[in-house]
Amino acid sequence: MDNKEKQELIATLISEGEKDKAVQLLSDWSYQSSFKDIIFSVLEPMLVEWGKLWMSGKLSLAHGYLSGKVAEEFYLLAANDTEFKNSKVKSKGTVILGNVEDDYHPLGRRLVGIYAQAAGWEIIDLGTDVPAELFIEKAIENKADIIAVSAMMFTTAKNIIKVRHELDANALSGKVKLAVGGAIFKLRPELVAEIGGDGTAETAINAPDLFDALLKSKAI
Amino acid sequence: MATVTGADADYQPYTLLLSLYGASLIKSDTYPYYRDPELWFEGQRAVVDMFDPDIVITPFSFPIEAEAFGSELIFLNKYAPNTRKPLLSNLSQIENILLPDPEKSPSLQFFLKSTDLFTQYYGGTKAIACPIHSPADFPALLMGIEMWIDTLFFHPEAVEKMMQKTIEHFVRLGNEFIDRGATFLVVPVNFTCPMIITESIFRKLIPYLENAFSQIKGPIVIHNGGAKLLPFIQQFAKLPNVIAFLLEPSESFDEARRLIGDKMVLMGNLDGPNLVNLTNNKAKEITLKILNNRKDDKHFIFASSNADIPYDTPVETIKTVVETIRGFKKYG
Repeated sequence: MDNKEKQELIATLISEGEKDKAVQLLSDWSYQSSFKDIIFSVLEPMLVEWGKLWMSGKLSLAHGYLSGKVAEEFYLLAANDTEFKNSKVKSKGTVILGNVEDDYHPLGRRLVGIYAQAAGWEIIDLGTDVPAELFIEKAIENKADIIAVSAMMFTTAKNIIKVRHELDANALSGKVKLAVGGAIFKLRPELVAEIGGDGTAETAINAPDLFDALLKSKAI
Repeated sequence: MATVTGADADYQPYTLLLSLYGASLIKSDTYPYYRDPELWFEGQRAVVDMFDPDIVITPFSFPIEAEAFGSELIFLNKYAPNTRKPLLSNLSQIENILLPDPEKSPSLQFFLKSTDLFTQYYGGTKAIACPIHSPADFPALLMGIEMWIDTLFFHPEAVEKMMQKTIEHFVRLGNEFIDRGATFLVVPVNFTCPMIITESIFRKLIPYLENAFSQIKGPIVIHNGGAKLLPFIQQFAKLPNVIAFLLEPSESFDEARRLIGDKMVLMGNLDGPNLVNLTNNKAKEITLKILNNRKDDKHFIFASSNADIPYDTPVETIKTVVETIRGFKKYG
């Protein structure tokens, strides 16, 4: 079976809701070749392809959720593999990721984490309902390049202003870029500037491109 | 009703989702507006006086329906309320969900008293539409989208327990609306759509929807809720009591007709939330485009799609839409 066929088989299993079978198969193939090979030749190309299909409306959020679960569980297995650990390329940079204070909609954020990690970013995921001060504290502690904040609704997107204020108060604006995302920004793109964001991505699959662009624009 | 039966009438009926906009017309803060049925109705009377729609709509706020189960609300000025966070954080809590009693729950009383006021003032002269959350979508509001997707994939017993609860609530509240004078229920399917779930999950949910809809004593309109309807429209069309679909703005009425035939009512599909961004000329142009597309369709009702028309939308923009509809010669 070539890599393309392996990708298709994993995609089929995920579409049918067979998460455990997909993880098991990826694991079996990894022991036959290597975790590095299966991640770079099977899983990540499949995630990229699915991201494109999701963006074009051909796959659902549930597909994205399940592919994320498969990737998450398989990355955990790979994390224990010495060869894979040694093969990792240098991180592009560090992103502090989280849902803003009062936001409890983790799905988009988790997908951003998976796609960005696959693209070579170091992700520190703070979870849901994260206060502005904690984003800043973790950004300083980890010398982060980007704070990425997710909010689903208008009511919670407003809380991102506090993150911008904290960046300003700590003289970090420009040095640490503020990426924002979530359903409300697709509906109201003008909100990105209103709440002090440096940029947004239309979907989770676009997040790594946004991070690349923000890194380039970052003040040294 | 002529539109439902397909009777010839040189008249284009219309409705717009102006639930929130009533607060704008009477210059009310949204907190009291979404708490006091009398104040809410005052706003809707202002809507009727100003725009005279053929269908009036009782409060369109699913977070308030979730509040009846215990969810906490957040109020922002000029916006409808939202839930602060999902009520459930793990599946074991499903057992503890107590169904709200429509007669005792202040949240449900807000809907029901508003419906009574509509029936009292507009019964027999206007159609009364009552929005209610779909029993298959409600769990996503109570536990969050991610947890509900996970439950549907991996926890069939929890799905069964959850759906029993939401179906019982849906049937009880839905029939209460009908008993109090609702012409039909409006059921958005924000979650039960191909943007959110896979086809296999949708197939799992269909029997639950059949069960719930079959127990409703009146007609049901499926509302896009901001999602595309067409990929699943044929399955929705087979559900009991479903008489109409309100399409998403980018969807094709011709394609909908191809999929479900000529008998069911189609509604739509002016983008309500985007109306605030349009010039009067652009609003007129889009309205005319929709009207011309359905010129010969006897089962068509012009309607705004997606969520509420925003609070700050200029009155003149809405008037432009209404005047364009009223001046349009159907079948002419």
